[in-house]
Amino acid sequence: MSRESILSAIKKNKPEQVSLPEIDLGIFHEDVDLVETFSKNLESVGGRIVSFNRIEDLDAEIKKRYPNAKHIVSCSSESNLATMSISNETEPHSLECIDLVIIDAQVGVSENGAVWISDNDFIVRVLPFITNDLVLILSKKDICLHMHEAYNIISKRYRTFGLFLSGPSKTADIEQCLVIGAQGAVSLTVFLI
Amino acid sequence: MSHAKEAELFNNDEAKVNWHDQALWFVRNKRDKAAHTVKGWEELRNLASAIKANVLSNLDEYLVEFEENAQKNGIHIHWATDAEEHNKIVHNILLKNNAKKVVKSKSMLTEECHLNPYLEVNGIEVIDTDLGERIVQLAKEPPSHIVLPAIHKTKEEVDVLFQKHLGTIPSEGNPQYLTSEARKHLRNKFLKADAAITGVNFAVAETGGIVVCTNEGNADMGVHLAKIHIASMGIEKIIPKEKHLGIFLRLLARSATGQPITTYSSHFNKPSEGKEMHIIIVDNGRTEQLGREHFRSSLNCIRCGACMNTCPIYRRSGGHSYKATIPGPIGSILSPGTDLKKHSSLPFASTLCGSCSDVCPVKINIHEQLYQWRQIITKDVKQPIVKKTVLKMTGRVLGNSKLYGFFGKSARFMLKHLPKSVINSQTNTWGKARDLPKVENDNFEDWYKKRKS
Ligand code: SF4
Repeated sequence: MSRESILSAIKKNKPEQVSLPEIDLGIFHEDVDLVETFSKNLESVGGRIVSFNRIEDLDAEIKKRYPNAKHIVSCSSESNLATMSISNETEPHSLECIDLVIIDAQVGVSENGAVWISDNDFIVRVLPFITNDLVLILSKKDICLHMHEAYNIISKRYRTFGLFLSGPSKTADIEQCLVIGAQGAVSLTVFLI
Repeated sequence: MSHAKEAELFNNDEAKVNWHDQALWFVRNKRDKAAHTVKGWEELRNLASAIKANVLSNLDEYLVEFEENAQKNGIHIHWATDAEEHNKIVHNILLKNNAKKVVKSKSMLTEECHLNPYLEVNGIEVIDTDLGERIVQLAKEPPSHIVLPAIHKTKEEVDVLFQKHLGTIPSEGNPQYLTSEARKHLRNKFLKADAAITGVNFAVAETGGIVVCTNEGNADMGVHLAKIHIASMGIEKIIPKEKHLGIFLRLLARSATGQPITTYSSHFNKPSEGKEMHIIIVDNGRTEQLGREHFRSSLNCIRCGACMNTCPIYRRSGGHSYKATIPGPIGSILSPGTDLKKHSSLPFASTLCGSCSDVCPVKINIHEQLYQWRQIITKDVKQPIVKKTVLKMTGRVLGNSKLYGFFGKSARFMLKHLPKSVINSQTNTWGKARDLPKVENDNFEDWYKKRKS
């Protein structure tokens, strides 16, 4: 059996026990303005930021940015813009025509402009990738300093599928020229409240 | 053909070589800038290195822990001792599910196993979906870089390729247009695929989950549309705990391209309802490398490509000259472990300047291991006469440990004091087109610090 032969080869060849290092997170601490740094970093990776103060204004703000979106899926209870409803029975291939998806994000990471979302928030896993444009709603108070904090925050979740998402899909595979919109969503806007 | 001969071919087109050289140097500079914005960067590297050392010393236990946790979440785990077994496992999964069309995201392991040709002769369509990989697939070439697979291609070449295969109109290599055409082409493939194959960047023992990093979103497009997800991983991809991802994800993209993190860092822990997820854990020579004391830390590599971008030889000889799945400095340590004779010229494709070790996010002592391989190869493999001459002289210089105890220093000494005719001999074709990198008297760090200020 390959399993046994691999495991026994490892046992035979592995080096002497080395213990795990202690991680002192203090080394990585910085006093930065979390919202400002998050916004700056998200913009540097091609994402957009819209700050707004009243949750009632959300739909108007989204409409302003995406006036032509026809096929809209909203996974957020804060938005009423949905033109299509989905459930966990929805066949992912049927979502090919989606223009805009709206999702509640749980955590923002200031050091890299990434946002954590999981399939609790968007039900059908392909949604944030197959849509043309993606809107995430994030509360300013949910922005943390760095990835260590972010993993700490999400450590208690029920694990199915989730991701850190930083900006829109991109590639530089043709002569190192950056092109936004490779295979996933061609734009990402984070609405910060 | 030796690396030197292959490099000579690459150097026939000087303008292209210069572009290649500068493009990669530019990426290297972006890496530096990104690293300098992180407070505690060196500590991150130390931690990553220490965690990986712990992993190697407990690898069997972590793999078993990973397997148990993954299975609890409904993931099927397979084990493959070599490439052939890996390919058979993939094929069997596809057969069982009557899957004929496969989309694949970047995975150096499946390259190493030559999975595509294996599946193709069995009547299965395999489409590489990373844009760079799709380009080289259409050109019937292997990737020339582990992060930038098509870095050796000009945009005009891509233009011609897409005209032929995707029916695009001539655009003088307009990247925006070509990328949008590729997007349409690949959309179609994603929507029709029966199965998706991905690599694995990290596998977490504690949770039994895997993390796959892409910028394009191609891994996710494939996995979430197809019914079956097959992920192939080398045994060394394990990390102990989920919180360790914080360390590795902070290092990976910054080292690779200077981005603060890849666009998509997807955490797969459980297949969705009605779908299948398989993980194949592959050895293919890795346990042997684990047993080589001087070389085992090469297994710590997280495939960021930084050592390639910084390497003066790689930049001027191109990834294909290495004739190995993983090119560049790290590939030159890994490949001789699989076939010493075939890859015997690779550890010589280095100035031993040590720049690779300086940028490596997991602190692999790459240039020292290259030197170690040279020692073994000169003993075990017949060398062309000219190389022998150089080596004799190198040997004399390097052998005097009192004077030149540190390999990097010795290499610098060699570059400075050996006559140009010997350095630029046939073993060093990359030196032909232009003079070797200028050697400063300072050591690399001093020189580097000076350059920055
Ligand atoms: S050896 Fe280090 S620098 Fe080179 S690809 Fe691997 S992790 Fe990156």
